[in-house]
Amino acid sequence: MDNTNHQEHISSYAELFGTWAALILLTFLTVFISVFGGDLHTLTVAMALFIASVKAAVVGFYFMHLKYDKKMYRLMMTVVLSLFTFFLFMVILDYLTR
Amino acid sequence: MTAATTVEQPNFFQAKRGLFSWIFTLDHKRIGLLYLYSVGSFFLVGLTLGLLMRLELLNPGKDIMEAQTYNQVFTLHGVIMIFLFIIPSIPAVFGNFFLPLMIGTDDVAFPRLNLFSWWLYVLGALFALSTLVFGDGPADTGWTFYAPYSVNTTTNVSLSVMAALVLGFSSILTGLNFIVTIHRLRTPGMGFNQMPLFAWSLYATSWIQLLATPVIGITLLMIFAERTFGVGLFDPSIGGDPILYQHMFWIYSHPAVYIMALPAMGIVSELIPTFAQRTIFGYKAIAYSSMAIAFIGYFVWGHHMFTSGMSGPAAVIFSILTFMVAIPTAIKVFNWVATLYKGSIVIEIPLLFALAFIFNFLIGGLTGLVLGALAADVHVHDTYFVVGHFHYVMFGGTGFAFMGAMHYWFPKIWGKMYNKLWAGIAFAFVFIGFNVLYFPMFILGIMGMPRRYYDYLPEFHPLNMISTYGSWILAAGIVIMIVNLIVSKRKGEKAAANPWNGITLEWQTSSPPPLHNFDKMPELPEGGPYNYPNAKNA
Amino acid sequence: MNHTFTLPNSGHNFDAKASKLGMWLFLYTELLLFGGLFLVYMVYRYLNQEAFLEASYELNVWMGGINTVILLTSSMTIAMSITALQKGDKKLSVTLQWITIAAALAFLVIKYFEWGAKFEHGLFPGMEHYNSLPVGERLYYYLYFFMTGLHALHVIVGGVFIMVVIKKVENGSVNQKRYSLLENSGLYWHLVDLIWIYLFPLFYLIH
Repeated sequence: MDNTNHQEHISSYAELFGTWAALILLTFLTVFISVFGGDLHTLTVAMALFIASVKAAVVGFYFMHLKYDKKMYRLMMTVVLSLFTFFLFMVILDYLTR
Repeated sequence: MTAATTVEQPNFFQAKRGLFSWIFTLDHKRIGLLYLYSVGSFFLVGLTLGLLMRLELLNPGKDIMEAQTYNQVFTLHGVIMIFLFIIPSIPAVFGNFFLPLMIGTDDVAFPRLNLFSWWLYVLGALFALSTLVFGDGPADTGWTFYAPYSVNTTTNVSLSVMAALVLGFSSILTGLNFIVTIHRLRTPGMGFNQMPLFAWSLYATSWIQLLATPVIGITLLMIFAERTFGVGLFDPSIGGDPILYQHMFWIYSHPAVYIMALPAMGIVSELIPTFAQRTIFGYKAIAYSSMAIAFIGYFVWGHHMFTSGMSGPAAVIFSILTFMVAIPTAIKVFNWVATLYKGSIVIEIPLLFALAFIFNFLIGGLTGLVLGALAADVHVHDTYFVVGHFHYVMFGGTGFAFMGAMHYWFPKIWGKMYNKLWAGIAFAFVFIGFNVLYFPMFILGIMGMPRRYYDYLPEFHPLNMISTYGSWILAAGIVIMIVNLIVSKRKGEKAAANPWNGITLEWQTSSPPPLHNFDKMPELPEGGPYNYPNAKNA
Repeated sequence: MNHTFTLPNSGHNFDAKASKLGMWLFLYTELLLFGGLFLVYMVYRYLNQEAFLEASYELNVWMGGINTVILLTSSMTIAMSITALQKGDKKLSVTLQWITIAAALAFLVIKYFEWGAKFEHGLFPGMEHYNSLPVGERLYYYLYFFMTGLHALHVIVGGVFIMVVIKKVENGSVNQKRYSLLENSGLYWHLVDLIWIYLFPLFYLIH
């Protein structure tokens, strides 16, 4: 067994910087929608959460290296997130149908 | 397996001595035994509390304690049995001891983390015990800590939830350790499908420990904060929703039921092929059904809340999902029975426990379906039917598997054989006592006797008396068993490395195992993990 | 002992892959820990939409926004410090880690002023003004303090973790060949960032 090798993809500085730039851009976008987009209530929240999820995915794939890791890591993450989504879904279902 | 092949190595007991060599050990075998002694002690405490409850219920009206004392006793009984006994029992004791042996390595992936999780267990246990001396005594909420009562009662709920929190963290770390161990430390050449089924069941269990426990952690933290700051989230008088608490509690606590049940099923999957003297039938079906139970187990928590005020449609969906759990469970039972079919069965004590497991678990499981059915549950909810059901599953299932594993691996752990006659007598007492104790509860439940009261109507008297007599038979059996095991450990005759003609990897090393488990590279046999050579088939 | 045989798959070996897998598993538990709070948030936002909207105007979007930028930047610097160490530039790696810690401090300072302002207005759970608020707003502030407080605790833990790693990089026990610990501290720090990515819109931006 190879215990010491990391055999890893090394992220370049440019790639990390590009990731950062994208994240900052998305942050400005979401603040802009909220502050200047008028009071859209539920729609604002939906958009804010959508952008947050895009940002989270960017952080996960590039900063946290999921894009370059073994498939197993993406699979496990998918399972964990689906499980959590299911929790949210079943609980809100209860409240929506009361 | 002859002694001639290797120089006699000191076993893991002899390798080091002294108290510190135990409580600061990094050896998974010693940590397993530390868990055995601590978990076993708390089992006896929980058992005593249970006996006191049964004694109180011998006759209607007050027998030995007040209503408030009874409330505290059943809460403490629940907290100790759930968090300090069943959840850590099989994974932390036998998982720690045998997982590395069964997959051919010398320790878990993070030995220091393993020791740390035992220390967390001890800390959590101290928290739980300290409720006895501080403030208004132990919590009287039931082990579920339902809000808003848990927020308002003056008893020591805060310390109890902290105990559960710390114990939960200990359980998470054990689970984490096992998952990494299974992924990274299998002996070269052993794929996932060459692992013994006990390892599979631990893998499934570990995922539950890992992904469900944090939810209860944060929930209990909220209860703690609510009590400490006097403001909060679950008390309806300030706009909170107590049903939300129940959701969050059961999001953990239902999967936790499978933390208790799955390793027990893993044990049975080991016992049956050994004593049927043939390879397991339906290996993949049993392995994957463990994963399926773990997975579906996350989706059914709502069946604890059918009468709570949860919406109708949600209740219907939860009820349907609950029935799905029965499928992988039944797959396991069919495969165990199929393994026994045409096997050359050797009746030994561990096999008796495995068969009793199937018997009890069948009753527990089928009454579980009664409770999972929405319409039926409304009638028997919070009656003794529920008490009977979960004791059949937890004690009749997990408890019997634990005792079976104890007898099965006893010669491997200590290198001695127990007295089989006394073990048989103990088994008979435990099996009969157990059924006499808990079966009447189903009838009482159907008759309408509610749970969690220290008193009952006169018409319930006869069955309650029978039940209490059963508790004495059961307790006698357990005392005989413990005395027998302790005496055998001291004075029992020396056991061979493989006294059962076991066909899995842990029997290939000496008993007790050497410090590093294997003196040479374990060799994988042809045809899967249940085909290791023994004295008969070699 | 005369005994020298050890298994190649020993649990006592250093194993970079095991330590990374272990870290990821730990992060899942953190995700579900906060997940429970997000669940509570979801339910109470659904039950008290107007009150949550009303209360959210009390928060300062700009402070929250600046904190978001700070955390994102620190996420980049810690990721870069891994790259630097992988390429063998120990000094740059340490510098980038110090920048990350500085960012963590800046985040906490801004948080301190934000919380301070809320305290002055008596919005902390249990204070007089808090108790006079409508139920929905009370739930909002309770969750605000609980969730950002727990998050701030994670920022502190993450910062301390990185400081430990700095020590180890400096004395060479974390190095170009063996950088698991730095990688793990990075993963932890990204998680802290990830949670803030959701906290920020849910509390500041729900107008």
